[in-house]
Amino acid sequence: MSEIRTLIVDDSSVMRKIVERALRQAGLELSAVHEASSGTEALEILRAKTVDLILSDINMPSMDGLEFLRQLRDQNLAPDVPVVMITTESSEEHVKQAIVAGAQGYIRKPFTPEQVKDRVLPLLVVA
Amino acid sequence: MALSLRDSLHVVTDPAHLEGSVEEVFRLMLGVNCEQIEGPVKKEPDTITAVVGFGGVLSGACVFRSGESVARRIAGLLTGMDQPTMDDTVKDAIGEICNMLAGAWKGKVPDLSAKCMLSVPAVVTGRDYNIHVQSPEFSLHHVYSFEQEYAFEVTIICDGLQ
Repeated sequence: MSEIRTLIVDDSSVMRKIVERALRQAGLELSAVHEASSGTEALEILRAKTVDLILSDINMPSMDGLEFLRQLRDQNLAPDVPVVMITTESSEEHVKQAIVAGAQGYIRKPFTPEQVKDRVLPLLVVA
Repeated sequence: MALSLRDSLHVVTDPAHLEGSVEEVFRLMLGVNCEQIEGPVKKEPDTITAVVGFGGVLSGACVFRSGESVARRIAGLLTGMDQPTMDDTVKDAIGEICNMLAGAWKGKVPDLSAKCMLSVPAVVTGRDYNIHVQSPEFSLHHVYSFEQEYAFEVTIICDGLQ
């Protein structure tokens, strides 16, 4: 698999580092890791940078993950890039909302690197 | 006739849900086993408290509290790097632990999972302070230990239930 340019969106800098570590432990070669602490910041990054994978939390201040997904679609930013939500929200309703908003995958916190690998790798092969 | 959450209070207040949540978060994210112990927790001069609010069918909060050395150990396990001081990384880490505990706990009760929202974490550090809640609907207060020397408190407080 070629090197992946990634955007990680979470208001916690610790969680962003944990997600990056999990991606590397999953075997991904990351050529670039962009970080955003909110949906607003993530949209700004995507206007300037090209990425191959987006992982986003849902509960964030300023703009939450679901609104971030809707804005991605409305602004036609990163149209073919897979988006995986990583979040503490675990109900079927939340998963449905994320999929309807445009997410291709969903990982519940707490998670293991194996769970990240299982959710993310198939999306990158397809992409 | 659909039951309200109040009618299934015994399910919501089952202590096994909190125990399972703590065990899951610490095992999966920190790689350590926790055991519930009898309190009180050994006092440290400086403590940290993280609060994640619940809103919706249940209003209240999940509160995590520990001494500074415990918080630094937790943050070190979470980040994979020693944390010699109570800096922003430690505070962020404890906020995330509380966030995951709150999410895991509410995820164990189906009615809560979909209809109860979480706030972003708030983290307080300092000395000689206590948290008081007036007339809660219920509260669950547990003390846990890991690596045989570190102990912390987790409290689920409910002040309103639909």
